[in-house]
Amino acid sequence: MAVPLNAPTDQVRRVSARHFVRLKLRVMGNNFRGQGWRVALFLIGSLFGLWFAASAFFGLAAPGLTGNDRYAMLVAAFAGGLTVLGWLLLPLVFFGVDETLDPARFALLPLPRRTLVTGLFAAALVSVPTIAVLVALSGLVVTAGVFGGWFAAAVAALGVVCGVLLCVAAARAVTSAFATMLRSRRVRDLAAVLLAVAAALLGPLQIAGLAAFQDVDWDRLAGVATVIGWTPFGAPWTAGIDVAQGRAWAAPLKLLITLATIAALLAWWSRSLESAMVGAASSGPAKASPAATGGVVAQLFPRAASWLKRDRFGVLVAREARYWWRDARRRANLITIAVVGLFVPVMVNFGGQGFTVGNEQGFSLAGDTSPLLVSLSMLFVGLLAAVTLANQFGFDGSAYAANVVAGVPGRLELRARMTAFSLYVLPMLAVVAVVIALVLGEPAWIGFMAGTLVGTYGAGLAVNSFVSVLGAYSLPETSNPFAMNSGAGMVKSLLTLLAMVATGAIAVPMVVAAALLGDAWLWLGLPLGLAYGVGAALLGAHLAGDVLDRRLPELLAMVTPRR
Amino acid sequence: MTGEHPALALRGLAKSFDGKIAVAGVDLDVPTGSFYGLLGPNGAGKTTTLSMAVGLLRPDAGGAWVLGRDVWTDPVGAKQLLGVMPDGVRLFDRLSGGELLAYHGLLRGMDPAVVDQRAAELLDVLALADAGRTLVVDYSAGMKKKIGLACALLHGPRLLVLDEPFEAVDPVSAALIRDILQRYVAGGGTVVFSSHVMEVVQRLCSHVAILAEGTIKRVGTLEQVRGERSLEEVFVEVVGGRTATGEELAWLSR
Repeated sequence: MAVPLNAPTDQVRRVSARHFVRLKLRVMGNNFRGQGWRVALFLIGSLFGLWFAASAFFGLAAPGLTGNDRYAMLVAAFAGGLTVLGWLLLPLVFFGVDETLDPARFALLPLPRRTLVTGLFAAALVSVPTIAVLVALSGLVVTAGVFGGWFAAAVAALGVVCGVLLCVAAARAVTSAFATMLRSRRVRDLAAVLLAVAAALLGPLQIAGLAAFQDVDWDRLAGVATVIGWTPFGAPWTAGIDVAQGRAWAAPLKLLITLATIAALLAWWSRSLESAMVGAASSGPAKASPAATGGVVAQLFPRAASWLKRDRFGVLVAREARYWWRDARRRANLITIAVVGLFVPVMVNFGGQGFTVGNEQGFSLAGDTSPLLVSLSMLFVGLLAAVTLANQFGFDGSAYAANVVAGVPGRLELRARMTAFSLYVLPMLAVVAVVIALVLGEPAWIGFMAGTLVGTYGAGLAVNSFVSVLGAYSLPETSNPFAMNSGAGMVKSLLTLLAMVATGAIAVPMVVAAALLGDAWLWLGLPLGLAYGVGAALLGAHLAGDVLDRRLPELLAMVTPRR
Repeated sequence: MTGEHPALALRGLAKSFDGKIAVAGVDLDVPTGSFYGLLGPNGAGKTTTLSMAVGLLRPDAGGAWVLGRDVWTDPVGAKQLLGVMPDGVRLFDRLSGGELLAYHGLLRGMDPAVVDQRAAELLDVLALADAGRTLVVDYSAGMKKKIGLACALLHGPRLLVLDEPFEAVDPVSAALIRDILQRYVAGGGTVVFSSHVMEVVQRLCSHVAILAEGTIKRVGTLEQVRGERSLEEVFVEVVGGRTATGEELAWLSR
């Protein structure tokens, strides 16, 4: 009765996307098992998401609810376009993608690529953000329905669903391609440039958004909205409005644009997916490694850090410094800091300038900048740089065991990690201060800008020392620097938010000083900021180091990926 | 003074994960100068026991002493005497082999010149010098084991705790590792290692403990545990596994 081993085909059943979805739900469920706090965090995060979605829903339905036909197209095009852009860029910059189903795990299964891509795509759709966006953008359906009746509402609903598919496909394709690129060291510089360009795209949109805020010229904006409506960014969202406004012919075309874009994105994803699947096996050709010269100690210390003493502190700094550059996941974070650090201040301080020219009596929220506004933008850059360390032990994973076995004192460990990270970040912050001050045409501000940056950064280091010791989580051991475990995504977002709020609170004196001290702050800013930052960081390392000493094995268990 | 203390003493070590008992009270005395094999099937709790013994995992109950120093109340003192090679734990693998050794050496507070000299010798003996500046992440599994052993040996510990040192190691490297460990024991060191390869244990060890289902089933010198039989027979009898398959997998043979 033995079934022949070499003829298994008659037993094979087709694998459908449903299997992937069920697998993802099962993995998510198992991750929650016996971890009450994870469930709680997940619920809190979901509630946040839904609350946000609900308010956005009413915002987008407002043109319909108030019967204001004029704004319908505008709202659909801009809100929809920003949503797509957000899904495109935010995973790269902040949040990462949920890689509950790691593509590499499917490498050995006899699955056609098409099945794999559709399956992973379907699984990616099952997530809180997707549902939240779906709820939020459904507001457009209400608007279309009010103006165009049932048919327009149906078209709008179809458009919104396609739009959400587009968002998810875009996020997947971009992060996957990016991960592939970052893995090969040769193109990492190109990657940095690409990210910069992508972030730069936010600038014009921000200007447009501020302009809309100021109610400058609705007709001109309507023109822009129409154009956006014909790009993949706006096409899915505006189709329903087109029907409602009597341009029914446009709807099928726009849906076609959307579907073609989704198809193209999925095709792109499936190509980069293949390299992601085999990536683990062949992470680059074995380079002809140069023969080691000199002693091993000399090899370990980077040339830029050769001033370090050859002791425990020095060697911890040297290893961390090497890691910030060699680990793709960390390098991606550094690139993010560099890009965001330059572009956010530019956007904040220049946001509305183009529009205030033609609108002199308009309020000066944007336009001509002030020390206060500059301080706030510097504060943001500083805390963003520091929050990168919120899961600094998670980067190490189980390798952290080496430090536990060696019994590294907590304070030493934290101080060394801060120092190594600062080797990269402080020069970046200096560049930010100088460049922004020059761009603003206020070179006298360099001092207090740098002071605010360093002060906030130092406060952030202190806060994030605690966060990294108490709220560490494991990162998956994949080659995708943007990958995160399910559940961890929510944890990460909440912890990041918490750390940033706490840092902001501690750094508030820097902004208050800028507002109160006036010209004196121009001179006092740098020394006070430096003292504040260094003091906060050292105090943080001192206090958090004690906590770390008591929890070495617990921390190791938290950052060790479960297998 | 250390002569009166065993190299490693475990008392009532217990650990459970999510209500599932992994180790249920392990008592063990590893005499100084012994070559101690911890035997057990997969999932017996070997890694959990050794992790608790060296301070990587906090036990639910019980304690561990390295040459009389409590691992959990005097971690600095205990960890100085200890060299550890954990299993299933990554190394800082984005360093080259030499850099990794330098890291471990200086982290132990060693003199840089001594680190340089010992690292060069270790890399040479373990045939890792050819790898040059290749990152450890690109090493083969066997090379990773060898560099892990080198890291554990570098600071000259009194007690060496190795988790599965012979797994995924080719016969040539295994012979090399055996030789190094035997020299280390002959020089007064103590080795505790876990394994489920009987012939290695039989060849090397002076003492053996068999761990199954989270408790020590047999313990003593190799002769005491083995008696007249082979170690494998004793092991299978103690662990109580099934040794032959019946009708079920008939489809395999065709």
